[in-house]
Amino acid sequence: MSRKTRDVLSVEWVKLELIRTAYATRGGLFAKMDARMVIGWYLMLAVAPWLTHSFATIIALFVITAVSAALARVGPLVLGLFLVGFVTDFLYAFLAAWMFGGDANTALALVEINLKLATVSLASIAAFVSLDPEKLSTGLLALGAPELLAFGVSYGYRMMPILFEEFGVVFTGLRLRSAPGARGFLGLRALWRWGTYAVQAFYPIFLNTAKSVRTTVESLETRGFTARQGRELRIARLSIGALDVTVVAVTLAAVIAAFAIGPWVMTG
Amino acid sequence: MTAIIELDRVSFRYPGASRDTLRNVCLTIEEGDFVAVIGGNGSGKTTLCKTFNGLVPHYWVGEFAGEATVAGLDTYDSSVAELSSTVGYVYQDFQNQLVRPRVRDEVEFGPMNFGMPDFAERGRQAMEMLGIDHLAERFVWQLSGGQAHLTALASVLAMRPRVIVVDEPVAEVDPAGAHALYERLTQLNREHGITVVVIEHHAEFISQYAKSVVLMDDGAPVWHLPAAEAAARAAELEAHGIPAPQIIDACAALDLPGAPRTIAEAAAIVRGAGVTPRGASSVEDAAGESPACPARPVVTASSLTHGYRTVAGDLMTVLHGIDLTVDAGDRIALVGGNGAGKSTLMRLLGGLQVPREGTIVLDGVDTRSASSARLADHAAYLFQRPEQMFLKDSIRSDVRLHPAGRGREDADALVDRVLDRVRLTPFADRDGRTLSGGQQRRATLAIGLAMGPALLLADEPTASLDVASRDSVIAMLDELSDTIAAAVVATHDMHLVAEWATRVVVLEQGRILADLAPRALFGDDALLTRARLVPPQIVSLGRELGMDPVPLSVGQWRDAFTAAGAEVHA
Repeated sequence: MSRKTRDVLSVEWVKLELIRTAYATRGGLFAKMDARMVIGWYLMLAVAPWLTHSFATIIALFVITAVSAALARVGPLVLGLFLVGFVTDFLYAFLAAWMFGGDANTALALVEINLKLATVSLASIAAFVSLDPEKLSTGLLALGAPELLAFGVSYGYRMMPILFEEFGVVFTGLRLRSAPGARGFLGLRALWRWGTYAVQAFYPIFLNTAKSVRTTVESLETRGFTARQGRELRIARLSIGALDVTVVAVTLAAVIAAFAIGPWVMTG
Repeated sequence: MTAIIELDRVSFRYPGASRDTLRNVCLTIEEGDFVAVIGGNGSGKTTLCKTFNGLVPHYWVGEFAGEATVAGLDTYDSSVAELSSTVGYVYQDFQNQLVRPRVRDEVEFGPMNFGMPDFAERGRQAMEMLGIDHLAERFVWQLSGGQAHLTALASVLAMRPRVIVVDEPVAEVDPAGAHALYERLTQLNREHGITVVVIEHHAEFISQYAKSVVLMDDGAPVWHLPAAEAAARAAELEAHGIPAPQIIDACAALDLPGAPRTIAEAAAIVRGAGVTPRGASSVEDAAGESPACPARPVVTASSLTHGYRTVAGDLMTVLHGIDLTVDAGDRIALVGGNGAGKSTLMRLLGGLQVPREGTIVLDGVDTRSASSARLADHAAYLFQRPEQMFLKDSIRSDVRLHPAGRGREDADALVDRVLDRVRLTPFADRDGRTLSGGQQRRATLAIGLAMGPALLLADEPTASLDVASRDSVIAMLDELSDTIAAAVVATHDMHLVAEWATRVVVLEQGRILADLAPRALFGDDALLTRARLVPPQIVSLGRELGMDPVPLSVGQWRDAFTAAGAEVHA
């Protein structure tokens, strides 16, 4: 056995990927846009697939969101997870159709719903990869969400790196100090052990976090968080520019085109 | 001067507590003062300061009696929100005070919550006053400890308060960072007339920066005196768990009257009294002892290079071509500023990670060839924050985890022995998190000891401890040296370096800048400046007086004067 430092597919990599995704550090087209317009853009693509049964339209919509995901610079971890889910869903659809005595039509119907789901997921990935926490929470505020929710979203993001760090340290501690054992068949025993550590790690993490959150809550109180007078100031920071309008207009045109080609493919 | 904070017979009891935390407190703080609040653990310092901004009794709803007036407002009749534009509070665990993703959002958070239209201007000004405007776009989790502390301060400063309370500023930042923070506080106090209240354990900071001192004991102030008068009451301070600064101790050791506030003052007192050190040869230099037989290497690192991926995706090299051998009997202090690579080097030495280039042989095992769990039998790594090592619900099960898991038959006897050794037997069944700071550190030492390592690695074992607990941890490390072959400690604490280490490895930007004995380090001004290290006061005083060898502790100082019969011309 030889250990080495790996840059991909390691715990550290997963941590970095999640941070990059959450904080939109890769940039991308939608990261420059106004949060409200991104959310609007997302809702448009999230609703559109459910309004049609035309296979051609669904495929066209899927292509639109796939291009968007590329423009949003979605990272390899999220994209990889999406692809794994996407592929297994398709396999499952065929398997189900075949086992329950369905025919090509049943399979096609299942593929259709999977493709719709994939379109919506890709759109949400593209949108939320592009919104950093501050933008997202301000955007939610502007759309009328309660302040507590908007703050909760941004605070959740703030806690994420801290919890990762804490989990990493506690998990390492458990691994170092608990009884070592054999890897077992296909490393299954090691995997089982790691699973146990992950569960055990919650006890110290909860207690450590609970202690630190007390300071956070007190400090929120002293900094007027409960005074709730900042809503307008926050929203006033948002502004919709030419880019926002262009992106939404182009997407809207593409969606309309997708709906237009549906009947055309059927009849033509 | 006018009073900005007036407490008149204030008492407070936390809900469910059996006695008052504050008892009949009468205290007046003048506007423009720089007050240090001192006192032992549980003396009510923090509760006192929380009455200033109304957290007591509005957030902590308990039994409140008496009258507290802050800037003309009766705290009982006003709200925390109203008071917070007058009083800003920076917590000891300031990292948890930061709630927004970026520095700018964080600093503007307060003014924005209160609907102040000039929030951006206030934020910009606060950041400029503290010299952190270049950090505005950073994410808060990217900041170093010192930067995060300044951000927390800026975020309360943006409210333009008249009073700033800082709870234990030295606890979680390195000495250079702590001095920087104090300099900023002094500047705010002097140039903007802001009243500053600090809760502080470290006498050297109190005597250097504070204008007046409040000593708390058992929920009430014992006295409130100008700093110079307070410093002169060394014996009384010592009784309340605040050992005097070393320079005052040094004068007391020679029976010289006076309470010097700076090294120069102390030197003048000693020179004025006409005493001269004689015992140059009586000082033993622990590092100078050469072992009879060639030392056995415990861990050898050769041409180590290591780095991490950043969020932006590039490789940040933290260590560059490090060669280091730790021999049996070595007590190494690893020093250097934040980001010099201390923690990384320790994690590599302990086998928690493997280097990208180069090799490490730990106790005869190449760290690449064994899992980190196996290597834990050879090296024990103590994390910086003790609570991260408390994985079980009692100290006893935490200490037992490693030996029992390895199937040691004498595990229970070993656990008892180790707990006894660190004097924690009475607390063995408590969760580590409920112990005091010093006890927590000793508990982590017990965990490390029970692992029976050849090499003990400890990350900042004396950070955020008050002076008495710090000294007990240093003494404990000293006692334990017979059970472990070698120890490496990453630290900012120059007292630990002076009193415990036999070898100091100075890291800078991932390279070893020097590897020498503590006395040699403290004699090298260029090196000290470059590594941003501040020697203990007694060392500086010894050098100021031209003593050779310089004393590393007050004990050595006393010996230098008395052992060889120094002449005192009174």
